[in-house]
Amino acid sequence: MYEKPMECKRCGNRDPAYFYKGHKGYYCRKCVRFSRILLEEEILPLDYEIAEGSEEYSFDYRLTDQQLEASRKCVEGLKYADVLLYCVCGAGKTEIAVASISEYLSRGLKVAYAISRREVVIELTKRFEKIFSNARVTGVYGGHHDELTGDLIVCTCHQLFRYYQTFDLLILDEADAFPLKGNETLMNISVNACKGRVLYSTATVDDTLRKVMKRRPYRTVELYVRPSFKPLAVPGIFYLPKYAGLFVLYVLLRKTEGQCIIFTTSKKDCEVFYRIFSRFFSCTYVYADLPERKQHIEDFRDKKYRFIFATTVLERGITIKNVSVIILNFAKIFDQSNLIQMLGRVGRGTDSLKGDAYVISDHFDPDIRETLKYLKKANSYL
Amino acid sequence: MRCIYCDKQMKKITLSSLFLERDLLCIECRKMLKVKRQCFLIEDLKVESFYEYDGIFKSLLLQYKECCDEALKDVFLYSLKDYIRIRYAGYRILFVPSSVEKRRMRGFDHLELIFEDVRLPRIKGLQMKEDLIQEGKNAGERSRMKDNYFYEGEELNRVLIVDDVVTTGSSMLGVYRAIRGRARHVRALSLANKKQYFSF
Repeated sequence: MYEKPMECKRCGNRDPAYFYKGHKGYYCRKCVRFSRILLEEEILPLDYEIAEGSEEYSFDYRLTDQQLEASRKCVEGLKYADVLLYCVCGAGKTEIAVASISEYLSRGLKVAYAISRREVVIELTKRFEKIFSNARVTGVYGGHHDELTGDLIVCTCHQLFRYYQTFDLLILDEADAFPLKGNETLMNISVNACKGRVLYSTATVDDTLRKVMKRRPYRTVELYVRPSFKPLAVPGIFYLPKYAGLFVLYVLLRKTEGQCIIFTTSKKDCEVFYRIFSRFFSCTYVYADLPERKQHIEDFRDKKYRFIFATTVLERGITIKNVSVIILNFAKIFDQSNLIQMLGRVGRGTDSLKGDAYVISDHFDPDIRETLKYLKKANSYL
Repeated sequence: MRCIYCDKQMKKITLSSLFLERDLLCIECRKMLKVKRQCFLIEDLKVESFYEYDGIFKSLLLQYKECCDEALKDVFLYSLKDYIRIRYAGYRILFVPSSVEKRRMRGFDHLELIFEDVRLPRIKGLQMKEDLIQEGKNAGERSRMKDNYFYEGEELNRVLIVDDVVTTGSSMLGVYRAIRGRARHVRALSLANKKQYFSF
């Protein structure tokens, strides 16, 4: 007799090796770290009401014509299918999504804005409270999940397992970034949190995202112009052996005016280079496991230090005026999306003028060539 | 076969897998799970513990207890089962009871599952007066556990009290106090201890 294969409702896993029979019955081990879900168990979606009048929004600044055009296209596209909002870094993806959020809220439908990092959630909650002055905006993140309902929910991707089939519109910001990158389980959990449409907003599309998106029809909205109408920084590239590269780095650091972020491939590199270069310049370092990481980033923002050595922690969600970027590509770790995001730190904001970008690599990397192609294509739209 | 914790593909045959029992963790994870054998005293009760309470042990125990992942039951006592059976031969195991509410939520008793394959006789009859949950509480509230147990049953000779983690030692001490008048020899065993006791 044919039996239906086991499938986890939440993460979509079908591999029988990941189902374990416990005392209460079969459960999926792929997503057990979120909470145990039995196979026969019925998961109920969260039910709550949206207050009237929460859809009103206002900005402190004016959006450009291109941004308005893109946000109109998003609202239009969400009527028929999912939307992929494909923008360059610093194009104002959050502002573009606001019109769609307002449109859904006015119909009394549930909306969530999911993003990868906890710090960004806290920052975005404050920003949305300003934009939607009448709405109750709830931030949900690790260690802060007592209150799960509100008019608009801003949460980390890891918290989306609490909302099974709840939302009518889910905005997945930076859908190609860590932790969603290459993590199909989390991606499925995120998409299953939504029963209506999904708006993916990203600067690059990777294989996992493409695979998930292919299941349903989607439309693409493209925006290649930043609100400042400045071109994206095209990096100068040095192919050099490692130690010659470090010498070039020294020369470049002597030359640059203003602050500079230096991206390294590993924690160890980050610390070693910091030790070497702290003899010559005022600099600091940061990586994800560092206990004082918040303090170091704050100090860098306050211009106490000129240079910061960082791993990919600083690649997203940080805006510093007149900053330059140097990427030390000494291992095959960075891919195209990493490179684009790192180079996207240059020239963000409306009045940030200066800033150079360099890549120092000790091996030939096809990703660098692809990145250059992408940047030139984006700049040709200006 | 994949590692039960980090989900990496493991080698099919290794030298240790030919001679010893199959480990569910991969070599890297097993290395990270740091073994630190300690003996220490809580009042006059001798306690033995096996692991350091940090990093991977913490997350394994959390996944096992809070996320109810029963598949992890054989990870903790890998290669220690025979040691316990021989070292404590003649003893009878007494588990520190967990709260009824938690047990119902999990659907299994976490300690009994871990010690399932340790072939020593068990004792029943230890109960809690109040159904308290210790998780996320400070030392003051935990100290209420000291007089929260009572024992009804036969006279005992050698008893081995078993718990998962010793934090302040109050629940272990509570069980010890409940049983002290009825047993001749009492020893205790915990998987890990949080606090640095004076070890001997």
